[in-house]
Amino acid sequence: MQENLGDWIVGILVSVLGLAGLFLWAGAQDVEMTIFGLALAGFAVVFVIGLIKRHYDEKDTVHATAKARVNPHG
Amino acid sequence: MASTAAAADSGLPPVVYNDDVVRKFTIAAIFWAIVAFLVGVVLASELAWPQVNLGLSFINFGRLRPVHTSGAIFAFGGSALFATAFYIVQRTCHVRLFGGRALADFIFWGYQFFIVMAALSYVLGFSQGQEYAEPEWHLDLFLTVIWVCFAIVFIGTVMMRTEPHIYVANWFYMAFILTVAVLHIGNNIALPVNIYTAKSYNIFSGTQNALVQWWYGHNAVGFFLTAGFLGMMYYFIPKAAGRPVYSYRLSIVHFWSLIFMYIWAGPHHLHWTALPDWAQTLGMAFSIMLWMPSWGGMINGLMTLSGAWDKLRTDPGLRFSVTAVGFYGMSTFEGPVMSIRSVNALSHYTDWGIGHVHSGSLGWVAFISFGAIYYLVPSLWNRSGLYSKKLAAWHYWIATFGIVLYISSMWVAGIMEGLMWRAYDSQGFLQYSFLESVVAVHPFYVIRLLGGLCFLSGALIMVYNLIMTVRSQRTNPGIEPFSGAMPVAAE
Amino acid sequence: MPTKIEKDSHTGTETTGHVWDGIRELNTPLPKWWLYVFLATVVWSAGYFLLYPSIPLGGHYWKGLWGYSSRGDAMAGVAAIHEQHAAAMEQIAKTPIADVEKDPKLMQTALVAGRITFANNCQPCHGQNGSGRVGYPALGDDVWLWGGKLADLETTLTHGIRSGDPDARVSQMPAFGTDGTLKPEQIQQVADYVGIWWGLTGKDVDTKAGAAIYAENCVACHGEKGEGNRDAGAPPLNSKVHLLDGTRASIVAQVTHPQMGVMPNWNTRLDPATLKSVALYVHSLGGGE
Repeated sequence: MQENLGDWIVGILVSVLGLAGLFLWAGAQDVEMTIFGLALAGFAVVFVIGLIKRHYDEKDTVHATAKARVNPHG
Repeated sequence: MASTAAAADSGLPPVVYNDDVVRKFTIAAIFWAIVAFLVGVVLASELAWPQVNLGLSFINFGRLRPVHTSGAIFAFGGSALFATAFYIVQRTCHVRLFGGRALADFIFWGYQFFIVMAALSYVLGFSQGQEYAEPEWHLDLFLTVIWVCFAIVFIGTVMMRTEPHIYVANWFYMAFILTVAVLHIGNNIALPVNIYTAKSYNIFSGTQNALVQWWYGHNAVGFFLTAGFLGMMYYFIPKAAGRPVYSYRLSIVHFWSLIFMYIWAGPHHLHWTALPDWAQTLGMAFSIMLWMPSWGGMINGLMTLSGAWDKLRTDPGLRFSVTAVGFYGMSTFEGPVMSIRSVNALSHYTDWGIGHVHSGSLGWVAFISFGAIYYLVPSLWNRSGLYSKKLAAWHYWIATFGIVLYISSMWVAGIMEGLMWRAYDSQGFLQYSFLESVVAVHPFYVIRLLGGLCFLSGALIMVYNLIMTVRSQRTNPGIEPFSGAMPVAAE
Repeated sequence: MPTKIEKDSHTGTETTGHVWDGIRELNTPLPKWWLYVFLATVVWSAGYFLLYPSIPLGGHYWKGLWGYSSRGDAMAGVAAIHEQHAAAMEQIAKTPIADVEKDPKLMQTALVAGRITFANNCQPCHGQNGSGRVGYPALGDDVWLWGGKLADLETTLTHGIRSGDPDARVSQMPAFGTDGTLKPEQIQQVADYVGIWWGLTGKDVDTKAGAAIYAENCVACHGEKGEGNRDAGAPPLNSKVHLLDGTRASIVAQVTHPQMGVMPNWNTRLDPATLKSVALYVHSLGGGE
C-alpha cells in the first residue's frame, strides 16, 4: 500500500514537471530552453510509463508466484 | 531488488534494504568517472596544444571546462555520494530506505537527467559564469527539486531508524545535504530575462556576487567534497579494516568544529581584491583554524587502522581509502597555507591552485570513492570478492603515479608562474612578460597531461575489473539475485 | 539495542558501547597534540583579529592595531618598484625622442622599459619582436603604413589608428564590391593585376583590363607601382610584407569589402615616457628609419 502511495505522489510530481517542460518548450525563445523543455517532457513521460510498467510487472509476478504455488510443476 | 542484512551482532530482525538504487548510482558513478577523466585529459591537451579544440566552439576550453568540473564533482562525486549515502544510512540505521522505490528512482533518474542537461547546456554556451554553479536558473530549480527529495529520503530514513544513536557517517551526510541545499539556493538567486529564456541575472552584483560565489564555492569543497566523503570514510574504513573507529570524542569535536569553521573560509579566494580587508582577514584566519578540524578526520581514519595495517597488503580497496586519507591530510594542510595573505599573493591565479584542487579531487575524493566502489560492487552484486586483486593493485599504482605527476608538475608550474609574474630587474621593470611565463610552463602542462592519462588508464582498468567481477560466479548460485538473498556477510 | 561497553583487545581502550552494522567506536580521548595545535590556531587568530582589520561593526569595521590595509600594502610595493626608475623615466619624458637615442644611459633604460611594455601590450597582436600576423602589421622590417621614423612611431603609439582619438591616424579604403563600384569580374581582373607583385599571376594571364581598373580606382592612393602612400595611410601593394594572408582570394575579399584594423590610442594607458620607450624599442627592432 505504502509503495503504491509513493508511486502516486512521485508520479504526479513528475507529471507536473513534464507539463512545465511542455510549456517551456512551447514558449522557448532560445535553443537551450527548447531542448530543456522537450527533454523534461520526454523524461516525465518515460519515467511515468516506467512506474506503470513496474506496477503491472509486479502484479504479474505475484500472480505467477501464486499460480506456481498451486501447481509447482505448472 | 533487495537484500537482507545479516544483523550481525545486534540481534535486530533482518531488514530488506533498497539496494537497487545503490546499484544504479554505483554504475553511474563509475560511468561519470570515466567521462570526467576523459574530458579532463582533452582539456589538459588543449592547454598544452590549443589546436586540439579543432576550432570547434562546442569543445573549446571555456565550454568544456565546466563539463569536466561538474562531471568530476557532481556527476562522479555526486553519484558516489548518493550510492554510499543510501547504502550506509540503511545499514547503520537498520531500516529500509524511507520514501519508497518510486522516490528513490526519481532521485536517481532525475539527477542523471540534470547532469546530462547541464553538460549539454555548457557545450551550447549557456552558463551563469559562476564557478561550480554554471547551470542556468531552470536547471538550478530542477536540481533543487531533486535535492529536496534526497533530503526527505535521507533524513526520513534516519528518523525511522531502529538503532538508538545516529552513526557519525550519517552526521556528515546530513551536514552535506543540508548545507549544499542552502549554498545552492543562496548562490543561485537569479532573475531570468523571462521564463522562456535560459538567461538570468544574479541578484547580487560586483563584490557581493564574488563574495557569495566564493562562500558557495569554498563550501562546495567543504560540504560536498569534504563532509560527504568523510561520511564515506567513516563507514568503509572501519568496515574494511574490521576495526572500531579510533575516537568517538574526536569525531564529535572535529565534526562540529569542521562545519563551524568551513562556512567562514570562502573570502580567502578573494585576497587582494575589492573585497573589504576585514572579510579577507576573517576568511584567512578561519582557514588557519580549519587545519586541525580537518586533520581530526584524517587522524580518525588512519588510527582506525591500528591493529589492521597488514590488511593494506591484501585489500586493494582499503589501500585506496587509506591513501585517500593521506592526500586529504596533505591538501587540508596545503589549503590553510595557501590562504595566508602573503602566500596567496604568490599562489593565486597560478597553476598551484589547479595542483591543490587536484591533490584533493584525485587524491582524496576519487581515491576514497574507488575504495568504496571496490567494496560496494562485490557486496551489491553478491560476489565473494573482486575478479582480480592484481588488477586493482595496478589501478592503484598507475593512478598514484598519475597524481604524483599531476600535482608535482602543477606545483613547479604554479610557483614558477608566481615568481615570474613578480620578478623585477635592477631598474624596477618587470623581468618577464606574461607570454614568457606561458612558454615556461608548457613542459609542465605536458607532464600534467601524462599524469591525467595515467589516472584515466587506471580507472579503465577498474572498470574492466568490476565488469568481470559482476560477470563472475555468484557467491550463492542457488539463490535468485533479486529475491531477498543473503548478502556476503560484510567482512 | 542494549549498550555494551567492551574493551578493545588491541589498544586496551574501551568502546562506547554503540554498534552500527558491526562498527564500534573506541572511547579514545582527544589526542593532546591535536587539541593544543587547534587551540593555538584559535589563539593566533584572536591575535590576528586584534592586529588586522577584522570585525565588521555596522557601517565601519575594526581597523586593527597595526592599521594594515591590503591596498595600501600593494600600492607601497608598486611605489617602491616605481621609485627605482622614476628619475630615469622623468628624464626620458623631458628629452625629445631623438635625443634619448643619443644618450646611451637613457637609451638603455628606454629599451628595457620598451621591451617589457611591448611584450605585455603589443605582442598579442604584433607578435614576438614585432613579427606581425595576418591583419596586424609586422614592425620588425622596413615596410611601414604610417612611417617608421621615431616621431612617426611615437604619434602612432600615442594616438592610435582609427581609435577614436581626435588625433588618431585615419584612412579608409572604399568597399568596391559591396557598394557596387566594381563588378565581381572587374574585381577578379584587378586581383590578377595586383597578384603580379606577389607572383600569384602567371605570365600567360592577360592583365590589361585589370591594369586599367587599377589605374582608374587604386592609383590615387596606392600609387602607380603599388608603392603605397604613407600620408594617405595606403599600404604598399608591391611588397611581400603585407597585411593579408598572401592568397589571391584575400585580395578579392579586401577589394570587395575591406577589413581595416584598429590600433588603440595608448595615451590613455601609458605615460609619455613609456610611450617614448616603446617607440624607441620598436624602432630598434630592425625596421626603424
